[in-house]
Amino acid sequence: MTAPRIVLIAAAASLTLLAAPRASRGAASAWSVNDPSQVRLITAAKVAPTTGEMWMGLQFRLKPGWHVYWKNSGDAGYPPAVTFQPEDVLGKPEIQWPAPQRFDLPGGLVAFGYEKEVIYPIRARLQPAAAPTPAPTPSPTPAAQGAPSTQPNTLPNLLKITADLDYLVCQVDCIPFRYTLTLDQPVGIPALPDPETSGLLQSALERLPKGVGEMAGVTTEVALDANPSALPDLEIRVRGARADAKTDLFLETNDALEAGRPRMKVVSDGVVFHVAMKPKEANKPLPAHTPIAWTVTHLEAKGHPFSLEARRDVEVSGGVAGPATGSSPQPPASRERLARLLLSAFLGGALLNLMPPVLALLLAELFVLRAGERGKVREGAAAAATGIVGSAWLVALLAVAAHRAGLPAGWGAQLQEPVLVAFLAVLSALVALNLWGVVEVPLVSPDSAGSIGTSGTGRHLLAGLVAMPLALAWPVPQLREPVSYALGRGPATVTAVFAVAGFGLALPYLLLAVVPALLRAFPIPASAGGWLPRVREGLGFLAGAGAFWVLYALSHQVSAEGIAFIELTLLAMSLLAWLRHREGGGRTFRAVLAVGLLACAAGALWLADHNRLAPRAWPAAPLPTTLTTGPNNPIPGGKKNA
Amino acid sequence: MRRTLLSLAILSLAAAPVFAGNAVGDTAPAFKLTAMDGKTWSLADLKGKTVVLEWANPNCPVSARHTREKTMIELSKQYGEVVWLGVNSTNPNSGDYMKPADELAWNQKNGINYAVLADPTGATGHAYDAKTTPHMFIIDKNGKIAYNGAIDDDPPGRKPKAERVGYVGHGLDAQKAGKSPDPASTHPYGCSVKY
Repeated sequence: MTAPRIVLIAAAASLTLLAAPRASRGAASAWSVNDPSQVRLITAAKVAPTTGEMWMGLQFRLKPGWHVYWKNSGDAGYPPAVTFQPEDVLGKPEIQWPAPQRFDLPGGLVAFGYEKEVIYPIRARLQPAAAPTPAPTPSPTPAAQGAPSTQPNTLPNLLKITADLDYLVCQVDCIPFRYTLTLDQPVGIPALPDPETSGLLQSALERLPKGVGEMAGVTTEVALDANPSALPDLEIRVRGARADAKTDLFLETNDALEAGRPRMKVVSDGVVFHVAMKPKEANKPLPAHTPIAWTVTHLEAKGHPFSLEARRDVEVSGGVAGPATGSSPQPPASRERLARLLLSAFLGGALLNLMPPVLALLLAELFVLRAGERGKVREGAAAAATGIVGSAWLVALLAVAAHRAGLPAGWGAQLQEPVLVAFLAVLSALVALNLWGVVEVPLVSPDSAGSIGTSGTGRHLLAGLVAMPLALAWPVPQLREPVSYALGRGPATVTAVFAVAGFGLALPYLLLAVVPALLRAFPIPASAGGWLPRVREGLGFLAGAGAFWVLYALSHQVSAEGIAFIELTLLAMSLLAWLRHREGGGRTFRAVLAVGLLACAAGALWLADHNRLAPRAWPAAPLPTTLTTGPNNPIPGGKKNA
Repeated sequence: MRRTLLSLAILSLAAAPVFAGNAVGDTAPAFKLTAMDGKTWSLADLKGKTVVLEWANPNCPVSARHTREKTMIELSKQYGEVVWLGVNSTNPNSGDYMKPADELAWNQKNGINYAVLADPTGATGHAYDAKTTPHMFIIDKNGKIAYNGAIDDDPPGRKPKAERVGYVGHGLDAQKAGKSPDPASTHPYGCSVKY
């Protein structure tokens, strides 16, 4: 073919494209072009996965001086709005907002958005149920563009994606545009990234603000001081990052308060912003707490520039003390609601006693108490109850700390963190091993004579201390509302709610401490060393079942290989414990085995951390830092995902 | 001392707009403005009546869309007992500025039969802290601001008219029933007011 002919064909082809801007095939729609801007829809995948996450993006190119908007457009404008079809396949894709910049407009008005070029990443979750229409014979072109040479081994289906887009583009003047962007997305196995668009989306994802939990060493504080003598002052502080003159704060809209222009002060370890927040309704009392969502741009930590995003339910304090100090006066709350929630927390705590490993531990403890000296029942029960309530306080402290750090906190949230779940699996396994008599931590293990003898108060205390952490693996619904309510109110309420839940969990012991005679209902073996050890060993299986449930919960958060290795680690842990128990041996040998046992436990936690499917949690919508086209298809250059 | 006084003076000037009162429940800032047809309107004369203020700019595509869709035109007819006033705070140096006679002609041609007041200095716009066209206010019979915000919940106008939540319409219904609009404040959208 001669060169002029190729040019002619190319020209004809592009003319056809211009004349009929149809759905384009593959990873990008055609550009929709107008005078100040152009926009297209892109997807990260040359071949999208049949189910799971799929990343798309709205890519804008803007004429100099023009801008499109952030989720809060500022004093003018509005953010782009987009809906996708087919909804039964794509669900409701979520638009993500890159870190914005500020545009000053005449009259002291200000807008928040983007200029020159911006990609709004969009996350879709492909619904497995819906099957896209079968594709016509696929054209051989996609492989020719430097794509991986591996061809899909099944014919990809085609998913016809349409995006109905409305956006406003402004300089000082504004022009609204409406387009329907269409794209035929091949779908199949294996999924393949598109080298060009996945790179574009990858860099767009990197421009998204990071969550607080995602940046090691970076912390934030936010306080809203509604001092009656002036406008409420919002203070936002970022520590552990470098700021400069370009650093800026962007607030999302708030129902009750209108934000003024932030004042910034760069300090040695970070930056402090103060924003006058004007109540939108003059005669209405301010809410007790209000959601504040913000993004700080142009920060730097360890040589890496980044933006930070957080969303907090901030207590509106009436005095000088901010909510961060925890000493602010409690806003008036409905007493009835509080009472109801505390009752619910108590019930939830009591219910936790029925969860397998907790129940196993409880029953074993009751047997120990029953077999022990009669006069010591009260003391032992009180010790166990003390242990439970003490550990409940400890858990409350951890919940407050997690909440402060911007991590998802709340009853059930603990099961979203693989390391914690792995810890719960280890703990349940240890309790099972203990009940089987293989691990002699001073819990409810038999004494040297093999019978359940008199056990010290310390033993009961420890059993109590373990009960609450064990219970963490069981998301009983009764605790959900009280805990999330408490987290919104402050540390004091959190402590109260957990303490009440702890009292609920300790209920059997508390009853025994008051009426030790209740224990007589429990059977006791005629002779020491009778059937009791067998019962205890049987209870070990209950605790073991608990460990399996926890591993099941974990299987949603770590890769299949990760789960397999964690299970092997637990098995190795059990083996070492068994060896140690069975073989006895010298002191050194036993110590080595004990260290090995601990190493296995630590290894399980490490494995959970390193095989997690989702990135570490942080506030607001959790987002991966890397892009994936499917669970097993890491994009080249991206972090390994599985 | 002098410096302190000076900074105090500057501070109070800076704080002035803050106390101008555009929040819901505040006394609506007074104004006396000339309409495009030359008639003078003063808020003081409208005591005892519910007043709607609509920041308008025929050259703003968002205002123009609502004119085309007759959003405000129909509302002002539907709530005939309410005094509906447009306010144009466009700076005469802005490309969007229209001479009163031209704007009057444009309004008449497009069916806007309520008065639109000229605020070329932007003083009234700033007093209300009007940000967008359209930015809507409802002033109740006692001269207090009852609603401050958007005309509806659909900035790009994607939904059919019947499906939009018309904040101003709902607010006026509430006023009629002796209640407060809910929501009483929303985030206004549109072009920036061309101060």
